Amino acid sequence: MSTVSLKHVYASMLLAMLFQLLPWEGLALELLPDFMLLTVIYWLLRAPHLCHIGTAWFAGLLIDLATGGLFGQYALAYAMTAFLAVSYQRRLALFNIWQQTAYVFFLLLLTQTTAIVLKLFGGNDFPGWDYYLHSLSGILLWLAIIFSPIGVEAPPHKS
Amino acid sequence: MPRALEPQQTPAFFVRGPSPLARLVFFSALSLALIATDSRLHYLTEVRQGFIALLHPLQVVANAPFNLYRTSAEYLTAHNTLVETNRQLSEQALHDGAKLQRLNELEVENEHLRSLLGASQIIAQPARLGEVLHMGRDPFTQKMMVNLGSRQNIKPGQAVVDGDGVIGQVTRVYPFSSEVTLITDKELSIPIQIERNGLRAIAFGAGVDNVLDLPYLPVNVDIQIGDRLITSGIDGVYPVGLAVAEVTNIERNPDSPFAQITSKPVAGIKNHRQVLLISIPEIESALGTVINNTDGSTKAGKPAEKISPVTTSPAGSGSQNVNRQP
Repeated sequence: MSTVSLKHVYASMLLAMLFQLLPWEGLALELLPDFMLLTVIYWLLRAPHLCHIGTAWFAGLLIDLATGGLFGQYALAYAMTAFLAVSYQRRLALFNIWQQTAYVFFLLLLTQTTAIVLKLFGGNDFPGWDYYLHSLSGILLWLAIIFSPIGVEAPPHKS
Repeated sequence: MPRALEPQQTPAFFVRGPSPLARLVFFSALSLALIATDSRLHYLTEVRQGFIALLHPLQVVANAPFNLYRTSAEYLTAHNTLVETNRQLSEQALHDGAKLQRLNELEVENEHLRSLLGASQIIAQPARLGEVLHMGRDPFTQKMMVNLGSRQNIKPGQAVVDGDGVIGQVTRVYPFSSEVTLITDKELSIPIQIERNGLRAIAFGAGVDNVLDLPYLPVNVDIQIGDRLITSGIDGVYPVGLAVAEVTNIERNPDSPFAQITSKPVAGIKNHRQVLLISIPEIESALGTVINNTDGSTKAGKPAEKISPVTTSPAGSGSQNVNRQP
């Protein structure tokens, strides 16, 4: 039986939201990884029975609220990412760590691209290519988490 | 070897609910509907306010370590730094005090002259000191959050300034905080005047840090690099004469009928923790004085009446200049 429960999922999402709400400024704001998205992707790949597209959508809605943009922009981006994450989740569990990382990087880029397309339709300007630094820092954080003790803390595997 | 993702132990084939595709379609439709409602119909203002109020405790928790750091840093400031700032501030207070004495006299004189001309009085706009909670998190917009909200009678549209100049305008008000759009945001424009020659124009945010654009000015316009832009005050939001920006670059392209003029805001838009929120003047009362002046029935209108006794024609009642015509 899996030891990961719904409690863990929501507690980690709350923590991610807290990180998102910290008063970041200047360079930190430009390099900030999307904590919420990383948390959601982690749970989507690890425990798809607890975290599904709806959870991702709701997390995206929270991000919309925190950024002050139009309702539903990040929610849509998160939902599309969640769909791709969930549909390849079975195969991904068999991949090695670097293949998984590459896939997660692709997911991060996809979310940002979806968000930017929606924002451009909403009348915003293209903010420049350093916008994608968020994905880069995101994947570094992902690697840090995976290689740190928190990432290894997996349910006891009885096979 | 650390394992990233545990393969699922019990593949639950039958308890997964709707298929991912169905969920995707459902949630995409929902978010598209939300985007449309929010951008076109403005029904969601209250919803947003409610959610932000719910998020407020979390925001307070998130800000707590930084506030603690700041207060402890203040507490641990070295003695000589304090003495030095104290000396600087008292020196500045002396200079400002001397200027303020003249200001009082000038204000009285200005009031008197305006009453002689029959012009409407300048309305005093009280201000409140607010503190910046955090900068906007959206890389597409230039915004920040301030710790005053509708509980403190903040209203959308109020001007926000600091000691050096204009910062922006309140665009959204939540119960405990409000969102300030900076003048560098693409959506915000501000009526300005060149300090040197009084030329009026409108400055638009460029959407980038520290850049304001002055579009739609002809190539031969009298603007030089280094000119200071101040608020013209004709919008009724920003008080007259606040510094806005300084012209940094002028490009005169022969292909274009307009000059490309960029300027740099003088206010430390991203440096300060404290800002002033200036309340919007009461438009009704202002209009009232104008109408009374043109009728010549108030004491402000009397001197003008002496100059031109027959100005009762209703055609010119909109402007006060009628009174001054011989």
